[in-house]
Amino acid sequence: MAASLSSSGSARLMTALARSSVLYNSFESRSLHVTAVCCKNQAARIRIGKGDKPLTYEQAHHPHQIAHRKGWLSQHTSNLKGVEGAAERTVEDVFIRRFMFGTFHGCLANEVVIKRRGNMLVVCALMLQKLPPQKFYFLIGYSESLLSHFYKCPVKLDIQTLQDKAVYKYL
Amino acid sequence: MASLTRNVFLSLGRTNVSGLGIKEITNRVTYATALFANSTSRNKGLPDRGGRGSVGRRPRREPGEPRTEKMPLDQDWTSVYPSATSFKSNAVPLPVRMGYPVKRGVPPEKKGNLELVKIPNFLHLTPAAIKKHCEALKPFCTEWPSALDTDAKCDEHFPIKVESTDYVCAGPSVRNPSARIVHLKVKLSHFNLDDHARKKMLKLVGERYCKDSDILSITTDSCPLRQQNYEYAKYLLTVLYHESWKIEAWEAKKTAADMEEYSWEDSLSQKNMLDTLLRMKVAGEGEDAEVRKQLLEREEVQDYKDSVVRLKNEGASESSMLQYKEAVRKVLNV
Repeated sequence: MAASLSSSGSARLMTALARSSVLYNSFESRSLHVTAVCCKNQAARIRIGKGDKPLTYEQAHHPHQIAHRKGWLSQHTSNLKGVEGAAERTVEDVFIRRFMFGTFHGCLANEVVIKRRGNMLVVCALMLQKLPPQKFYFLIGYSESLLSHFYKCPVKLDIQTLQDKAVYKYL
Repeated sequence: MASLTRNVFLSLGRTNVSGLGIKEITNRVTYATALFANSTSRNKGLPDRGGRGSVGRRPRREPGEPRTEKMPLDQDWTSVYPSATSFKSNAVPLPVRMGYPVKRGVPPEKKGNLELVKIPNFLHLTPAAIKKHCEALKPFCTEWPSALDTDAKCDEHFPIKVESTDYVCAGPSVRNPSARIVHLKVKLSHFNLDDHARKKMLKLVGERYCKDSDILSITTDSCPLRQQNYEYAKYLLTVLYHESWKIEAWEAKKTAADMEEYSWEDSLSQKNMLDTLLRMKVAGEGEDAEVRKQLLEREEVQDYKDSVVRLKNEGASESSMLQYKEAVRKVLNV
């Protein structure tokens, strides 16, 4: 009984507050919620497992090995001093990687390497021999013409095919 | 499944074609069923080929051996790599290995190695290829004129030097706004300027003139195109030269403060020096003007004049202060 009375009283108080105040946005008080920080890097890392997962050289090395044991997947001059356009080149790179992944679905053996020579875009990719060569040629021509129309610069695809992925280690 | 479809087709055939004879109907029915029977039997026979998508009638070709096996030793490498391309492990006959080795292992081989693809290679620029490039470019080149064999001669015949920069960057656009800047450098000794013209030119030009090297450098970047900037720089040079030879009416009002160099004649220092000497009664009695002239011709006074001029023009340094000290001592006989 007492509880119900107090609850009704509080409800009345709340409604009175709601009617009177204009500043309050919500009925409950706002506070900052903080979870415990997990001090762990997990970017582009494949953790050790049973030993049956085959990994390529690219996947096996963590991102801090770039410039030490790994090279760069994309090369352009926009990150030098005094040169503009770094953000645009990055966005282009992201789009090209997704495009290649989708167009040659299931055929990519490794990451796509993008090089820029002057205003020419060179996309180098290692593929598996899943499709017959005619289909490969068609897809290559299609990608080159579509990308060059899209980016208004000559686009060249350098494709090499392999039987199967080159395994570096098993994790 | 096949029987059902057959029935459907039979019924269709009968309903649609009413005017024709029965023979045609049966023919059509058999053709249709035959088609269906074929397709269904094929589907049942090869269920694991569903991933390939289309019905592959041709058998899958085996990949041949890599091109490196068939390369003769004395082949023309410039035709294998005629232009800049990425590393192709099937086309490069070298046993290259690249990468960090696994524990108790070796660096990974070139087949399927992405690290070799990532780096820029110069396989298209072997000495043989460069020779071919030079041979191809030779018809477009002319000899350097034999008369211009020293730098001095080049300066003498071509005193004006124009400098501009071209920028290359990897991106869809070849334009760079900094490429429009033009620097024009010329030595003033090449112009015939008399004293007034030279002084006027230096005043007009201001900071663009370097005294140590006697070079006037004009930098233009106000126009959007390089050619426009170059023509503007040439125009500026022409205008400077002609303007410095003109004598305007208001130039007669030049005061001592406008003078570039300090001149001792008719200056306060000369007046003071002469007054001091007269008071000291160094020379004999005579007319004022004559006495002054005699005093001026004295050696100590000339020394004093040199030291003061040097101090005023060059600024205070150890040697100039010492010289001034010596001159003053001599004049005052101290």
